[in-house]
Amino acid sequence: MINIKEYVKPDTVQSAYEIGQMPNSLYVSGGLMVSQIKSERLERLIDLKSLDLDYIREEENYFKIGANTKLSSLISHPAFSNLGKGFIKESIKEIGSVQIRNMATVGGSIAFRLGWSDVITIFMTAGSQVEIYKGNFQRINLEDFISQKVKGAIVTEITVPKIDGKCVFEKFAKSNFDIATLNLGLRVSLDGKFVKEARLVVGSRPMLSQRIREVEEFMIGKEIDKVSNEASELIQKVIQTGTDIRASAEYRKALSGSLLLKALRRVAQ
Amino acid sequence: MSKVLTEEKLNVVNTPVEKVDGKALVRGKPVFTDDFDLPNALTVKILRSPHAHAIIKSIDTSEAMIEGVACILTYKDVPHVIYTRAGQGYPEPSPYDTFILDKKVRYVGDAVAIIAAENENIAERAMKLIKVDYEILPAILDYEHAQDPDAPVIHDEPEISGSYDPKHNIASHYEMEIGNVEEELKKCDYTIDEVYYTPNQSHAMMEPHTAISYFDPNGRLTVITSTQVPFHARRILNRLFGVNCRVIKPRIGGGFGGKQAIHVEPYVVAVTLKTGRPAKCVYTREETMTATNTRHAMRFRVRAGAMKDGTLRAIELWGLSNTGAYGEHALTVFMVAGSKTLPLYNKVKAVKFGGDVVYSNTEPAGAFRGYGAPQGMFALDSALDELARKIGIDPIEFKLKNSIREGETSPIFRIMGEGREGVDQIIRSCKIEECAIEGSKIFNWYEKIKRPRIDMKKKVAHGYGVAFAMQGSSIPAIDMGGATLKMNDDGTFNLLVGATDLGTGSDTILAQIAAEVLHTTVDKITVYSSDTDMTPFDKGAYASSTTYVSGNAVKKAAEKMKKEILKAASELFEKPVEFLDLEEDKVVCDDGRSISFAELQTKLFYTFNQRQLEVTESFVSEVAPPPYLVSFAEVEIDMETGKVKVVDFLNYIDCGVPINPILARGQVEGASAQGIGIALFEDHIMDKNGRLITDDFFTYKIPARGDIGKIEVRFAKSYEPTGPFGAKSVSEIGLDTPGPAIANAIYDALGIRMRRLPIRSEELFFEIRKKYG
Amino acid sequence: MRVNIKINDKNHSIEIEPGEMLLETLRRLGYKGVKHACSTASCGACTVQIDGKPVLSCSTFTAAVDGHEVKTIEGFSNEGVLSEIQKAILEEGASQCGFCIPGLVVTAEALLKENPDPDQKEIIEYLKGNLCRCTGYESQTRAIMKAAKARRER
Repeated sequence: MINIKEYVKPDTVQSAYEIGQMPNSLYVSGGLMVSQIKSERLERLIDLKSLDLDYIREEENYFKIGANTKLSSLISHPAFSNLGKGFIKESIKEIGSVQIRNMATVGGSIAFRLGWSDVITIFMTAGSQVEIYKGNFQRINLEDFISQKVKGAIVTEITVPKIDGKCVFEKFAKSNFDIATLNLGLRVSLDGKFVKEARLVVGSRPMLSQRIREVEEFMIGKEIDKVSNEASELIQKVIQTGTDIRASAEYRKALSGSLLLKALRRVAQ
Repeated sequence: MSKVLTEEKLNVVNTPVEKVDGKALVRGKPVFTDDFDLPNALTVKILRSPHAHAIIKSIDTSEAMIEGVACILTYKDVPHVIYTRAGQGYPEPSPYDTFILDKKVRYVGDAVAIIAAENENIAERAMKLIKVDYEILPAILDYEHAQDPDAPVIHDEPEISGSYDPKHNIASHYEMEIGNVEEELKKCDYTIDEVYYTPNQSHAMMEPHTAISYFDPNGRLTVITSTQVPFHARRILNRLFGVNCRVIKPRIGGGFGGKQAIHVEPYVVAVTLKTGRPAKCVYTREETMTATNTRHAMRFRVRAGAMKDGTLRAIELWGLSNTGAYGEHALTVFMVAGSKTLPLYNKVKAVKFGGDVVYSNTEPAGAFRGYGAPQGMFALDSALDELARKIGIDPIEFKLKNSIREGETSPIFRIMGEGREGVDQIIRSCKIEECAIEGSKIFNWYEKIKRPRIDMKKKVAHGYGVAFAMQGSSIPAIDMGGATLKMNDDGTFNLLVGATDLGTGSDTILAQIAAEVLHTTVDKITVYSSDTDMTPFDKGAYASSTTYVSGNAVKKAAEKMKKEILKAASELFEKPVEFLDLEEDKVVCDDGRSISFAELQTKLFYTFNQRQLEVTESFVSEVAPPPYLVSFAEVEIDMETGKVKVVDFLNYIDCGVPINPILARGQVEGASAQGIGIALFEDHIMDKNGRLITDDFFTYKIPARGDIGKIEVRFAKSYEPTGPFGAKSVSEIGLDTPGPAIANAIYDALGIRMRRLPIRSEELFFEIRKKYG
Repeated sequence: MRVNIKINDKNHSIEIEPGEMLLETLRRLGYKGVKHACSTASCGACTVQIDGKPVLSCSTFTAAVDGHEVKTIEGFSNEGVLSEIQKAILEEGASQCGFCIPGLVVTAEALLKENPDPDQKEIIEYLKGNLCRCTGYESQTRAIMKAAKARRER
């Protein structure tokens, strides 16, 4: 039990946002994270379930995912789960457990901005945009949303472009049922053997997921089969990592190199 | 599963009977302590110390007495009786160094005050309003510094007794030597001298510690508690409060030694005595992790030597054990690290064991499945593996050549007992050769070790390790268990035992033993266990003793019941007992007459030589026949990350006759998983103030389903003549082998020796990088 | 606040605290088969089904379940015969202390509904959020394999 005065379920984004302006309020989507909060000040939870934000819509060039969509729905959606040649299905399955994926929502996972979030790394790898409401609707890159620490906004929708290149996700965790010690997403499109475009995201550093642009740029124009070792060495040099109970900064640097090698091997296959 | 050959023809024993409590468990029936709701019960919460070592200068509860708070108790309000929470038989071998509440706190999590309120919410609010002024003292967070010259003294209370040298933070000390290790080592062709570490480990049973107390309608104090030792709990509560009580253990959601100590019971009893009201306390996961017990972390220096031909000549284990803030099981767990490992290699010319058990300002250590043997065996078996490789001999061959055999003994059995001298015993059942030889065939050991270990292209290494272990069955000459059998007029029996089923299935195997003797079936035996007012005494569930001690008590009681039944039938049929026998729920006479148990007891109730057939028997063990185990591990190591996966783990065990092969297999499988946990996953991490950071299942990772590869169990064809129907213990030994088997397998794969558990992927990764680039 | 929840096919109109967790509500109503073991969404002992999907009741706000359907272990336990899953758990010795079993049964029921013929890997994957400290999991995997087969052959 958490001690609050009220639990409200507004049915429009606007009214949810208005209530959210009252002090000591917090939005709740799946509830997994909010239920862990031990705040004495919290007075009000604003449930976003009644906002009709549980949908996956396929458009010509992208998918639109409602913020209240459960992670399990991402896996079961025939078209979206196959995005990036099965990338979504494979990577989302690495998160939590069946129960957790039945509870956690895409919007909640992003809005909480947790360093160890696999969802953020996965959606950043896919090049997603976020629609937020903050008095009006705005659309920004997920990457910017994460780094700009946008406060008080309601995440309403995520847009994921259709990917023609290959996408892979690598997660290192102590236990099979555990958060990542380090996670890594890689998206590469090739021109023959050569890397045309690359997007490389590393999360649980343990800081927030981040694109590793130096390595992305390094890989472009290089032969995919021959880029591995140098890319792996480079990422270990440029990546910023930290120490926590799960791993030291040094080990995380090494892991980033190892996970990149694994990812490149899978991409080259 | 193949049935084990035995010397007796068996109908019920050695069959996979379903658990007698199983139907209730799979239906989710309200059978655990927290499932009992008592009207008008108070919720009890404990205020705990945020400091590792401090004196309570003042404590003010006045502002916390908000509406809905029934009482707040501090050290001023509870009996000032020194005791040990260890939950052992009497007199306890653990030092008396604990109070229910004390003016001094000795670890982060130590109890400061007991709050009882109408509900949890009020109790928690009140807890925050208690004002405590602490004088913070320097703390010992690293037990290897407990004996430093400037180390603070943790136990300076004048009432302390039974502690070895509290002024120097030494709770216990032990040493023994047979022969002269120093001299023998000089004669050896090969020697080894290395240091090994095993960590604290949390029991992490799924059900948190829970207790309820209340006065029954007649004013008898009653405690329902998730305990492994109801009779010891009753005795200790009486010592603390001077009040007699009844202790009931319902179903327990796992214990593993963690519910042997007296944790929650004194708090609820103190509240009930103060308020007259029922009181319930359910620990949070955080409390269960931080404020109960852990496995004793230990350091062992092992020196051992052998000859060129593989003859092991001398072993020395010299250790340091961390008992944490209080000395629960300090001496006995430490001794078991030697007494249940060293006799396995009984052919040595000299053997030495000893060291100190020290206090530190960390969570108190206590009993934990394996009870020191996993710690001792990690050191000993790892060292022997190292020695075998130095000599250039196969580790199976080396360990087998030097291990104990049937008909042999070890002087250690007599020298080292439960905190005192032990008991001489000749080994009457030991199938370690079968375990090693047949096990190596099933595991395909000799083929596997010819395979290349490292695939540099895939950056994956495979390795194969073996570990040997022994344990005991009960604490001889101390452990006693009683059993009562009563026959009913419907032909069923009530089996009343003090033995404590903590999920292990002991109620079931005890019913099997009774049913076997009485020529009936388990469904006709209704078991009532662990109620101090109703059932006979039993020492409780620890020391691998229930199957052996309680099982023998039940067998004795059933044999006596059989005699009573035959006697009554003999009176009825007017035939000497020699002409009578039991057969399928009835007494049969050689002249063709027969009478069912139901008819017989009905006659005895109402019409003929009226009496209730009821018997009680007790059993005390004279010996502690060890089970034996050889485990084989195959590990797969990702050389790019240092991650180790146990892909195959084979246990070949000699536990005598398994009374219930399915339940026995489950004991070994479960112990293997906990052993894999201590080897690779479970890590206690503290902050600089001594607070445990890994205090929940989110941060303290016990192996999850996907972390376990294959665990396999095979039983040796073995029969222990002193055991009930040939049985020995099975529950603890499985924890002794995963640590060394996995470390040995990692060495086999990479040539890297990990001498500290848990083996962290990070440490292994940097070792791999050092060696392979 | 008041919520309406259907629990095991029975309608309940319940007065709750706004910050109450479904686990607390269910246990208060007498559904004691729902177990409290960790509070951090890390063990699966409190698993119930909401609208047929397994979720963790320790981290679900009761207020959010208003108008939904909850099924607990009690809803899967006929008083007469045991389900194939329960029977197989008993036969394989997959329940030792039994504290994790209600959550396991509730999760496994959902698995077999979604996938009547799971292989070993799929079972382990689906049940990975259900921790067990007693069994080492092997017997539980065997039990679910066996139950699936029995259910297919029913």
